[in-house]
Amino acid sequence: MFVEMLPAIAFYILAATAVGMAFMVIASRNPVHSVVFLIGTFLASAGLFVLMGAEFLALLLIMVYVGAVAVLFMFVVMMLDVDFVEMKQGFLQYLPIGGVVACILLAEMILVGAASLVNPGAGVKFAEDGTSNIEAIGNVLYTEYAFFFEAVGLILLLAMVGAIVLTLRKRDGVKTQNISEQIARTREGGVELVDIKPGEGIGS
Amino acid sequence: MTDGLQFIAFSTVNSVSSGTQLSAPLSTQSAFLLEYLPVVMLFAIGLVISLAFLVMAKIFAPSSPDAEKISTYECGFNSFDDSRMKFDVRFYLVAILFIIFDIEVAFLFPWAVSIDKIGVYGWAVVMIFLFELAVGLAYAWKKGALDWE
Repeated sequence: MFVEMLPAIAFYILAATAVGMAFMVIASRNPVHSVVFLIGTFLASAGLFVLMGAEFLALLLIMVYVGAVAVLFMFVVMMLDVDFVEMKQGFLQYLPIGGVVACILLAEMILVGAASLVNPGAGVKFAEDGTSNIEAIGNVLYTEYAFFFEAVGLILLLAMVGAIVLTLRKRDGVKTQNISEQIARTREGGVELVDIKPGEGIGS
Repeated sequence: MTDGLQFIAFSTVNSVSSGTQLSAPLSTQSAFLLEYLPVVMLFAIGLVISLAFLVMAKIFAPSSPDAEKISTYECGFNSFDDSRMKFDVRFYLVAILFIIFDIEVAFLFPWAVSIDKIGVYGWAVVMIFLFELAVGLAYAWKKGALDWE
């Protein structure tokens, strides 16, 4: 009996954690704390994915979002030298556009819920019986969705090039070791024999 | 725990064979979720131990802070600056490059599992994908984005 209730209990714990953490992301005053709460939100969402049977997505969420995106957010937070008291004052200014985005998201969620009410049998199905989640993804990702997959590669390439173009600065006057230049140095280039007459210097 | 799993698996089979369609998905879901019981136990143990450190330090450790004790100490003189100084933007570049190759590797995991099903076509698709990112790597290398001056 208890075992049958297990998914529901786990869902409510995880969902409450996710919502609470998401609220703390925008409520906490210290942006570093916000990022930590964001990590908590990601972890709870990963738990929800596991609950739906999408194990691969859950682990991917932990690997990519918790492992990499959170680090990126942390860097961004530490790179910005913003006055956070000043930032809080702009809250009301962004309220209209934030409200529009929130309304769109709410409408999407209502539509999804209504769709599952209209057609109750159509749940999310991640894998055929007998194949694991990751196998089901792999079987279609590289064949049916090959072009989308290549497009993902191009987008990643674009992101890499864009990040390099935008942030790479060559600073002048930095002393670096150029090993090939060092090795290519010959006696002719490095040594000069000068005849010095007695009584004179090598004044150039 | 293993016994419990087997029992649930058997009960699933029974319910399917007896035709009660409603309880069957729930049971398989429960059986699937019970596989994650060790993970939950691991989280619980981690939570208990880390909380125990905090609580025991709060209870047993002597603590009588005053303003001078908890202020920032910087070799005797007053601290120059806030500890939250600005990072160099190059950290961001490193993080972006890390994310991109992280995602690339993430896309290779399903490939490794189902490579015998998708054949030469899937292999070629992944090779093109890898080539795209190899071009990016070559670009980053050429531009000196991987160097730290």
